[in-house]
Amino acid sequence: MSVALAGLGITEMGKVFGSTPSDFAAEAIRLAVADAGLTFGDLDGLLLNPGVSHGALGIELAAALGLRDLSLLALMNGYGSSAGAMVQTAALAVDAGMADTVACVFADAPVEPGRNIGWAFSGLGASQPKGFGSLAATTGIPGVAGLYGFAARRHMAAYGTNEEHFAAVAVNQRDWATSNPYAQQRTPMTVEDHHNSRWIAEPFRLFDCGLVSNGGVAVIVTSAERAADLRQPPVHLWGWGQGHPGYPMERGSEFGLTSGAVQSSRAAYTMAGITSTDIDVAEIYDCFTFTVILSLEDYGFCAKGDGGPFAASGALGRGGSLPTNTGGGQLSSFYMWGMTPLSEGVIQVRGQGGQRQVGRHDIVLVSGNGGILDHHSTLVLGAHPRNSRG
Amino acid sequence: MVDAIRDHESAEFFDGTARGELMIKRCVDCDHDSRPTALACPACWGSRFNWVSASGNAILVSWVVTHVRSSSTGESAVSEPIGIVELDEGPWLHARLTELDPTRAAVGMPLEVIFLQAGEEKIPAFRPRR
Repeated sequence: MSVALAGLGITEMGKVFGSTPSDFAAEAIRLAVADAGLTFGDLDGLLLNPGVSHGALGIELAAALGLRDLSLLALMNGYGSSAGAMVQTAALAVDAGMADTVACVFADAPVEPGRNIGWAFSGLGASQPKGFGSLAATTGIPGVAGLYGFAARRHMAAYGTNEEHFAAVAVNQRDWATSNPYAQQRTPMTVEDHHNSRWIAEPFRLFDCGLVSNGGVAVIVTSAERAADLRQPPVHLWGWGQGHPGYPMERGSEFGLTSGAVQSSRAAYTMAGITSTDIDVAEIYDCFTFTVILSLEDYGFCAKGDGGPFAASGALGRGGSLPTNTGGGQLSSFYMWGMTPLSEGVIQVRGQGGQRQVGRHDIVLVSGNGGILDHHSTLVLGAHPRNSRG
Repeated sequence: MVDAIRDHESAEFFDGTARGELMIKRCVDCDHDSRPTALACPACWGSRFNWVSASGNAILVSWVVTHVRSSSTGESAVSEPIGIVELDEGPWLHARLTELDPTRAAVGMPLEVIFLQAGEEKIPAFRPRR
């Protein structure tokens, strides 16, 4: 059996206050089900990925939505790899006959009025840590931006990656975002704008960092056979993979130099029966500009160490050889963890990208990256069933 | 600086810093040296460790300088550089870097441990080796 994505729901996004993560999740699922031409009664599976905010999602949502007799229900969390992992788990369940129609949802509401947005991800709301946790706190471990900054600095020292490369990623994605009605940031950006943005954690400036958003995104996974009878063009799942490298924090570690995308992409390409050269559009997880550069290398789009020059070559833009992050990504559209690249991937495969639609969109790559480059997932999406490929 | 607070798992580590020693974990089975937080030896997956005193010498692996903007005043405060350091014995630690101009920082730069007071406990930090 082959499996497809049949529905997509994206809520209002950004500085949207007054809704809980559960409210956003419910709305996202409602939108995704309607998009597919289904009703809640058609769902027999629900997978949820909570974000960082207080009152995060739980499996209680199923009962709150009145979903009955589900055959698959679980909370999943592989951080930024979760969206891909949920779709993979749903696909396995559909393929095994365990479930027919599974909703996968991410929702979060970390942005609070009057709060510095870094607060939500700082852990400052948590209680005073003890032991080695308190030791980490005393070092002033600099939040997620700083931890990725460590990785980026290593890559810069090893391969000559620099802020011109970072800027190229940010500017390219802003250009795509100008054509995305969902995008939170649509004002065109120049390289100079990037260089003039304030430091967050050197080597990262503000425009190297993903946005923070309140909202929710859901997708519906079902059999390709069923998807063919539904309202939207089916988005076929050609292949997938995960990679959790577990790099040791000691001499010889490849932290910052490679990521789990190496393992994950190889598995996904093999399952899909493709190579990187077959991919028409790439939706790459982009919590930071650097994450895109590293992932491009690990996915085999360029040689190791050449991610920066590749990004600066224009390949990722409109008319480029590898249109990448065509909705603006997390840097410029919205931050819904792995649902940001997945949602844009679905839109591109369907050909519903409007002004930003890429002409050739038969095979679209979606990556998910979580932790500090610790967790990775890959989906290869196709506009046609895999076995009908000419 | 926030306080370091010992617990059962970290007691021997903080006993060490109080003596001016940087304690790491050595695998009983294969002698591989690991971070203080290790629960299994990354070389052989052994679970038995002895605490041993590291030399205190290290090299710089990576570093960042954070800028935190106050939500009330809009002013940015710049941190001392924070680094990943590689001990001569092999393990990596996240630590404060002191007496270091970040514009002169370089991968591989030799460092040495010093100890800073953080509440009732002392914590390791690193400065350019003298």
